[in-house]
Amino acid sequence: MLEATALQRLGIAMASTALALAIGLVVVAAAGYDPVTFLADVFEGAFGDENSIGRTLKFTTMFVLVGVAVAVAFRAGVFNIGVQGQFIVGGFATVVSILWLAPLLPAGTVGGIALLVLGTLAGVVAGGLYAAIPGALKAYGDANEIITTIMLNFIAVGVVGYLVEGPLRGEGNRAPNTARIPEYVSLPSVVFDSPDFSLVGLAVALVVVGVVSVVMIRTRVGYDMVTSGHQEAAATFSGVDAGRTVVTTMAFSGMVAGVAGAVFAIMIQGYYSDPGGVATYGFDAIAVSLLAANNPLGVVPAALLFGGLDSAGTHIGINSDVPPQLIDGIVGLVVLFVAAPELFRMAARRTGLGGERR
Amino acid sequence: MSVAGYVERNRLGIGGAVATILAALALAVAFDLPVESIVTVGFVERSLQAATPIALAAIGGLYAEKSGVFNIGLEGFMILGAANAAAFVWLIGGESPTQGDLWLAIVAAVLVSLVYTLLFAVLLVRYRADQIVAGLAVWFIGLGFGPFSAVLIWGNRNSPGLVSVNDLTVPVLADVPVLGPILFDTSPLVLATAVVAVVAWVFLYRTRYGYWIQAAGENPEALDTAGVNVRRVRYASVLFSGAMAGLAGAVLFAHAGSFTGTGDTMVNGRGWIGIVAYLFGNYNPVGAAAAALLFGGLDMLQIQFQTAGIELPNRLVNLFPYVAVVIVLTVWGSTRMPSAVGESYETEE
Repeated sequence: MLEATALQRLGIAMASTALALAIGLVVVAAAGYDPVTFLADVFEGAFGDENSIGRTLKFTTMFVLVGVAVAVAFRAGVFNIGVQGQFIVGGFATVVSILWLAPLLPAGTVGGIALLVLGTLAGVVAGGLYAAIPGALKAYGDANEIITTIMLNFIAVGVVGYLVEGPLRGEGNRAPNTARIPEYVSLPSVVFDSPDFSLVGLAVALVVVGVVSVVMIRTRVGYDMVTSGHQEAAATFSGVDAGRTVVTTMAFSGMVAGVAGAVFAIMIQGYYSDPGGVATYGFDAIAVSLLAANNPLGVVPAALLFGGLDSAGTHIGINSDVPPQLIDGIVGLVVLFVAAPELFRMAARRTGLGGERR
Repeated sequence: MSVAGYVERNRLGIGGAVATILAALALAVAFDLPVESIVTVGFVERSLQAATPIALAAIGGLYAEKSGVFNIGLEGFMILGAANAAAFVWLIGGESPTQGDLWLAIVAAVLVSLVYTLLFAVLLVRYRADQIVAGLAVWFIGLGFGPFSAVLIWGNRNSPGLVSVNDLTVPVLADVPVLGPILFDTSPLVLATAVVAVVAWVFLYRTRYGYWIQAAGENPEALDTAGVNVRRVRYASVLFSGAMAGLAGAVLFAHAGSFTGTGDTMVNGRGWIGIVAYLFGNYNPVGAAAAALLFGGLDMLQIQFQTAGIELPNRLVNLFPYVAVVIVLTVWGSTRMPSAVGESYETEE
């Protein structure tokens, strides 16, 4: 993927998505539904009206953040499959710290903003620390980070699930949820009047993209991360401590995942529930990042595509009989095809199509 | 390799292992654990059953990796295997399927797995797909299409209770104390897995084709020079790994009696644990099965704790296998992989 030109990548991403959607349509038809209605539902659910657009942008916000978190690590040659776990731990830390700090600060706008900032910081720190664990295990114990991060996802779900069920369950809650964070700790609604989406959240996500891009391209730390990912020997010779860079990379990636957790907790949920039932943004993020060729800026359009797909999934779940899990399967197919650029290169060569992809 | 050097390189790992053992000891003393009521015949039996799917997936995975292809999609193939086995049982036997229907469904699920794996193998071997990314994709596909098919068939992500495999009781031998109930009055799938592990070991280390598989992973050029088609060996190994993972999923279903498609599905990380099991077993099929037994035992501790009256939250006890995986990987992380793993091989024609 990395040796392809920007145009090639774009072509591969589009071809992968189109092929995955086509297979999805075949599955829909084989399952006895009408593929044309399904396709119409997909578009209506994604961009049909203001409601759909707000929902698409809500998912896009999440995908931008988790997608950047994955991209940071992949770019540096470290496979962080644990974004889901870091996202959960970060979001949970945000809610808990807001609940603990709220009685100490004045209620109202000023207190609300202070709590937003402190809560997000707690999420960032928690996400970063949780990601530093597999980083350290890889750097100093040679433990394969793909597997440790996946295990840490299961562990995060179990531990946070235990905490919201028992010790930290909100008083009088029948469901396994923490207490609600105060009303005044919320993002203001701009343009979209939706209880779980605010343009401010999207703006935060775009700012994070900008900050991460600058860090990756313009700073020494970012340069070290990327070079040690692709030219380990060269990086070591130029005095980069490979072990420490792995830990830094993972921590940085986890911090972005922590921001995603905080935005999810504050903007979407307002409390924390059993993470076994929380959306698996952290996994779809891998697809988002791959589609963007692990480029933080490319994550934005890729996130919009996945936001649209997920929004369509919600719409389909409510308005049609087609099981919405189909969308998850299609996402998996997109990843599968993105992994094999050679497939499209060969197809292009055989058919003589797609001159730009040779 | 000097001992000091080994310690130096594995400081964190050794520290982790020592800390775990100390913690386990401290727990045993602090809670005055009734060890004899935890390690019972029933516990061994349940651990063996829990280990079976992990061991099968691990044996398949290690063959693929030995041949130079990292099949990181085991988890996904297991999910599809479990979902397909459940679907076939329903198709063949309806609401009250028999044991015969169950065995047919297992065979059918394995055959379907072969078809999926063939497509996967073509992408990996012929189209040189990134093995890690494609394997992850298989996981996502399983997580999506497994529950999807359950919803199509039963209108729910979980199947209703269908059928689970009957124990196989060998007369006379089953009456032998301790060993009898463990080995001769248990799921036939447990016995079959033990046989598979031994045969897989013999095949890999004692037959010509086994050597080819190892050569395909260690030194594909040499194998090619010797006139053996490297790609074909890799196709065969990947196909075997997919079929075994499909079988592992089907066995998981056969022991549980129903398909669960909520959350991470009933497979719940067992495919990933399978990968660690063969790393821990140092790519030896018998060692991998033994490692699977360790994880199976940790998985079943929860029931033992309950019967022994030890109050520990279920959700935390359930995490033991995952924690163990992290520790094992850190201690054993530096197992030597076959040198050509992850590289696609091009014959120079």
